[in-house]
Amino acid sequence: MDFIAPLIFVILAAIVVAGGLAVVLLPRITGSALSMGLSFLGMAGLFALLGAETIAFFQVLIYVGAITVLILYGVMLTGVAPAGADRRLFFQKQAGWALVPLKFVGVVATVFALSFQSNVVQQPGGDLEPLANAVFRDYAFPFEVASVLLLAAMIGAIALVKRGDD
Amino acid sequence: MDDTTLRVLATIVPLAPLAAFAINVFFGRWRLQHLTGLIASAALAISALAATGILLGTLGRHDAAIVMLYRWIGVGTFQIDVSFQIDQLSTLMMLVVTWISFLIHVYSMGYMHDDHGYWRFFSWLPLFVFFMLVLVMADNYLLMFVGWEGVGLCSYLLIGFWFEKPAPQAAANKAFWMNRIGDWGFMVGVILIFLTFGSLAFRDVFAKVGIAQSELLTAICLFLFLGATGKSAQIPLYTWLPDAMEGPTPVSALIHAATMVTAGVYMTARSTPLFAEAGPALLVVAVIGTATAVLAATIALVQTDIKRVMAYSTVSQLGYMFLGVGVGAPIAAMFHLATHAFFKALLFLGSGSVIHALGGQQDMRHMGGLKPKLPITYWTMLIGGLALAAIPPLAGFWSKDEIVNSAFFRGQGYEWFWAIGVTTGALTAFYTMRMLWLTFHGAPRDRHLYEHAHESPRVMTTPLIALAVGAALAGLVLGWPPDAGWVHQYLGPLFERAEAIDYSRIAVLATISAVAGVLGLGLAWLTYARRRPDPERVARTFAPLYTLLVNKWYLDAFYDHNVAGAFRWLFGASWAFDLAFIDGFVNKLAAGFQIGGRNLRRLQTGIVGNYALTIVLGLLFVGAAYAYLRLRQ
Amino acid sequence: MLSVPLGWFIAVSSALFFIGAAGVLVRRNAVVILMCVELMLNAANLALVAFSRRLSDATPRGSVFVIFTFVIAAAEVAVGLAIVLAAYRNQPTVEVDEIHELKG
Repeated sequence: MDFIAPLIFVILAAIVVAGGLAVVLLPRITGSALSMGLSFLGMAGLFALLGAETIAFFQVLIYVGAITVLILYGVMLTGVAPAGADRRLFFQKQAGWALVPLKFVGVVATVFALSFQSNVVQQPGGDLEPLANAVFRDYAFPFEVASVLLLAAMIGAIALVKRGDD
Repeated sequence: MDDTTLRVLATIVPLAPLAAFAINVFFGRWRLQHLTGLIASAALAISALAATGILLGTLGRHDAAIVMLYRWIGVGTFQIDVSFQIDQLSTLMMLVVTWISFLIHVYSMGYMHDDHGYWRFFSWLPLFVFFMLVLVMADNYLLMFVGWEGVGLCSYLLIGFWFEKPAPQAAANKAFWMNRIGDWGFMVGVILIFLTFGSLAFRDVFAKVGIAQSELLTAICLFLFLGATGKSAQIPLYTWLPDAMEGPTPVSALIHAATMVTAGVYMTARSTPLFAEAGPALLVVAVIGTATAVLAATIALVQTDIKRVMAYSTVSQLGYMFLGVGVGAPIAAMFHLATHAFFKALLFLGSGSVIHALGGQQDMRHMGGLKPKLPITYWTMLIGGLALAAIPPLAGFWSKDEIVNSAFFRGQGYEWFWAIGVTTGALTAFYTMRMLWLTFHGAPRDRHLYEHAHESPRVMTTPLIALAVGAALAGLVLGWPPDAGWVHQYLGPLFERAEAIDYSRIAVLATISAVAGVLGLGLAWLTYARRRPDPERVARTFAPLYTLLVNKWYLDAFYDHNVAGAFRWLFGASWAFDLAFIDGFVNKLAAGFQIGGRNLRRLQTGIVGNYALTIVLGLLFVGAAYAYLRLRQ
Repeated sequence: MLSVPLGWFIAVSSALFFIGAAGVLVRRNAVVILMCVELMLNAANLALVAFSRRLSDATPRGSVFVIFTFVIAAAEVAVGLAIVLAAYRNQPTVEVDEIHELKG
């Protein structure tokens, strides 16, 4: 049984990373958006693997559902632009590609150096109850503030896209 | 009285006027209009009744009750509470303030009836009463200072009540500036008190009075007294009070005669434990008080504006009160404060009634012969005038006499204060008689005004009568027998005083001062009624002296030309300094930023990607630094 | 019981994070940049949940954080898209290089 969990992990991790790479690398924007949804779905699997079923559920609901659709709407409204000539200044692209693997290696090295190698423990009984207790009891006030933030974002979004006279 | 009742009453006393202010200032203009007068008067009645309740409830009590409302400032050891000290001194002041204010509010309902600023008047006036009550009830110097500044503000607002006219504006500004000088002194005194004693509460400070060095204590007291000279119009800061008569007459009566100007006397009396230990400070108080009493009385002799006579008379009487504090008789000073509140408020309200009857005319040269036209005003003002002139058995006699007698009994050269005090008493009688005669007797000098004169309405005459009763009886009720009357026994526990009372000597001294008063009255009667000597001829004969007095000893002119001039030069110089150095420096700095900005703006490429790259570079740097630090351990 | 080491999750998380960061740097389309930001937020979420499971307190603080991150992400993408749309309406392009009105 011991090899099943790592196997699932490897498959899910591959989906997540491949989806992420596809977002960045695919030239067509609709392709990027769909790969992003795929990556999110893989991430939900990883959450479930970690035993955070509630988070996984929300991940599907919010990211895979809402945000991906919202982004697709954004793509629709702004039109699918053709890939243009690369006119970045200051070697932006080269610098970007050069920096990222460097950093990635650095972080992974740090992580393993700090010995995060102990196994993740899965608790029985799921995480809905402790999470609900935490959010609605200990973090009730931040939760309410978050709702205000959402309201502000909603009003802000409407105000930004509202045309002058309608 | 149990503590809860006392607490409730002590809260009602200041809060009732504050509530009236809040209601009137927010709803007065559009909704309440003439109801504001009723609201304010009712609030004052409640306040006065509550104050009376406190008096009755604490009669047998000898220690001060502290009513703490809440902690205002608490920073380490610096703790200031909003709390009231209910003892004999503050209760007496509360009574005087609330009852006189109540009567004056009632009177003002008639006096201000046709003024378009009616609601404004009845907003500021209760606000003033609130601050005055905070001042007298405070149990620490800082809260007292709050009241002190508050009454100054209300005084400013009410002197400049008719702000459309230039003279009230100027007078209000003058009062404010003069008071600023005094307030500065008071503030320095309070700060010194805190630095010395580590507390501002009266009971703490007075308990620790021994730990201060004598010189420091003297400095504290002199600074406090500077504050008192500003608020109570003493030399050298008295010149604002006569100008303050530009305000409505009830304001002059309440603020600039009966209550606010006595704040300095109250504060000095309250601080007696400090002053008593402060070496020459009390002598300074006595000298300034006496000098002010004489100076103001001489100026009052030649004034022609009925309210200005009263104003200089107030300055002079306040001088008496300071003399009382200065010679170590704070009880006598407080006694005089109370009686003076009655008869001076009465005289101001009476002159207000005259001015009202003559349609705003304040110049006594246009009056005369008004007695049959204004009978109630005349008789009440006569009582007030005789009380001011210290004719027995009216109120002023007992209190003023006690002050000058205290000076005499002090001995050691203090007899001079007595002599000057009695002489000033004769001057007081003279100018009082002169004022009464010029206003009410003789032939009318202005036919037109005379024909149209009419007695004031009931709402104005009733307070006059009430105050006249007070002016007539307050001295006897409160102060008989001399030095052992009710007020002495009531205030007795607070102040040290001589044990033995020598009635035979008091009788002699009282007779002398009564004779001086009658002499002054008689001389004035001869001069103005019989014209022997003729006043114009006297003025011509002593022309230099007369000019000196008419020009108020040239003190106002001196302030205008020399002091104000010096400040104007100073202001000009600082303006030039400001332009050349401070502005110059700022301009150079701004130019530097301009050049820097012009060059640095090239960094702003406007391309989002560049900015994101910068962020990632920063992240990289922080991560690298963290990894380096962790690995080095 | 799972036998996947914590470090693996962190490695996936940081890989995704830097893929997102690279995307922000190299892509010019504003909508794609928004997507990349979402990827980075997701990567952070994964790290949070992983650490939270590892600590296994009574209160799953990391997971609570993730809930709040969802809120932030939703708000961010809504406002971000609104800005992109407003900018697009002003100047019909989503190429961030061509929007440089704020150039100093």
